[in-house]
Amino acid sequence: MDHGSAESEEGEVTYLAILFVLAQWVNVPLPNIPRTVDGKPNLRAPVSKTADGKPDLTGIWRNPDGRYLDNIAADGVQVPFQPWAQALYKERQENFSKDRPSGRCLPHGIPDAMLVPATPFKLIQTPSVTLILYENQGRYRQVFTDGRGFPTEMQSTWLGYSIGKWEGDTFVVDTKGFNNQTWLDDGGHPHSDAYHAIERFHRRDFGHLDIEITIDDPTAYTRPWKVTIPFEFFADMELMESVCENELDTQHMIGK
Amino acid sequence: MLRTVVAILLAQWVNVQLPNTPRTADGKPDLLAPAPKGANGKPDLTGVWRVADGRYLQNIATDIGEAPFQPWAAALYKQRADALGKGRPSERCIPHGVPDGMLVRNSPFKLVQTSGVLVVLYEEFNHYRQIFSDGRGFPPETNSSWFGYSIGKWEGDTFVAQTVGFNDQSWFDDPGHPHSEQLRVTERFHRLNFGRMEIQITFDDPKAYTKPWSATIPFTLLADTDLIESICENERDHQHMVGAEGVK
Repeated sequence: MDHGSAESEEGEVTYLAILFVLAQWVNVPLPNIPRTVDGKPNLRAPVSKTADGKPDLTGIWRNPDGRYLDNIAADGVQVPFQPWAQALYKERQENFSKDRPSGRCLPHGIPDAMLVPATPFKLIQTPSVTLILYENQGRYRQVFTDGRGFPTEMQSTWLGYSIGKWEGDTFVVDTKGFNNQTWLDDGGHPHSDAYHAIERFHRRDFGHLDIEITIDDPTAYTRPWKVTIPFEFFADMELMESVCENELDTQHMIGK
Repeated sequence: MLRTVVAILLAQWVNVQLPNTPRTADGKPDLLAPAPKGANGKPDLTGVWRVADGRYLQNIATDIGEAPFQPWAAALYKQRADALGKGRPSERCIPHGVPDGMLVRNSPFKLVQTSGVLVVLYEEFNHYRQIFSDGRGFPPETNSSWFGYSIGKWEGDTFVAQTVGFNDQSWFDDPGHPHSEQLRVTERFHRLNFGRMEIQITFDDPKAYTKPWSATIPFTLLADTDLIESICENERDHQHMVGAEGVK
């Protein structure tokens, strides 16, 4: 059983897969984790700061609630589809998302790579770059904070080109240069290559991170829209390797 | 054909002139400047690196002539080399291993060094490795994995990474030097100056080799640029790969 199975449509299979995954994560209690008197991580402790006084986002995070992976608009936001995008979303829904890229070992996109409950992600914040290491498929993003701007010509890519800056205690990440292949969620909210993602990372306390994601894509949506997704600190654990090897299994996917 | 692909990739790398790059009077990166230091006084390995010599991907044992194979490993290597490396994991979009993920000349890698971890970002396939330097040891049980579990520490100016917990699926190089799950890799990262780094890699795998053996591989800094995204999408192309039996 591999991580591909953990994203199966069948609830029972998903449940078993997640248990299997939990059994494999390495337990690593690190000395810099604040703890309550009983030795457990104190998720309500204040946020630690970096040398430059900014909140330190470093840590392993996950959203244990799979509903955002199924539908990033699960909280009820009205999605302002353009007609073609609405039709494509409907088609993907009716086809049980059979053709989603991750089914062929291609990347989850932004934001849905962060939304897979079975696979957390790690933020590593340095002065010049913040790394996002996804357990899922073992992929990464770089968010540059070294003062560079966007390249004059950008290639279309799965994960885009990301530049970050601080606005108070919030880390604001602009990403452009996407291809039109990724899905915003497993449900299949589409985007075009005009997609501009704005992610606002706000660590509320030691154990809680909110990310507000604005989807600005006038080709696919009539106006920018946004969702806010909560993440929990995944303490005393380490990412494990998750290499997608299920490219031979795609013929077993269920769809129309 | 290969030359064309390389030229296309080169054209895609972005030009990023960073302020902390030492420069000569004509504005070019000063590759002979001293190695930068991190906050802890240790050399900072951070940067985009590229293998200086493509021979190591073609044969990781090129310095010593022939690896000290156990008989089964010699037979498996011969079989793979005779098939021109057909069947290697990377043709199915599965990772190159340790070290060969660092040996692909047209796919550089980036090191990002923090006090707790040295992260290796491979351009190829958009994969990464973490080498933990936060004081942790190896877990009591390691899952077998493509990149293993790595911990590192400084010995003087050299960062020494130990890795265990490999599966037996990755190859050391494209012709197919094999290994078993007993493999233990020691990598000694030594940044000689701003523009040059050597990594001495020792393979300790008594099941596949009669004694530990090493390769010392030179790397050069790729200044004023950054990695580009490289997602392997050729899972449908591997039936076109050429082997000893010819095109199928």
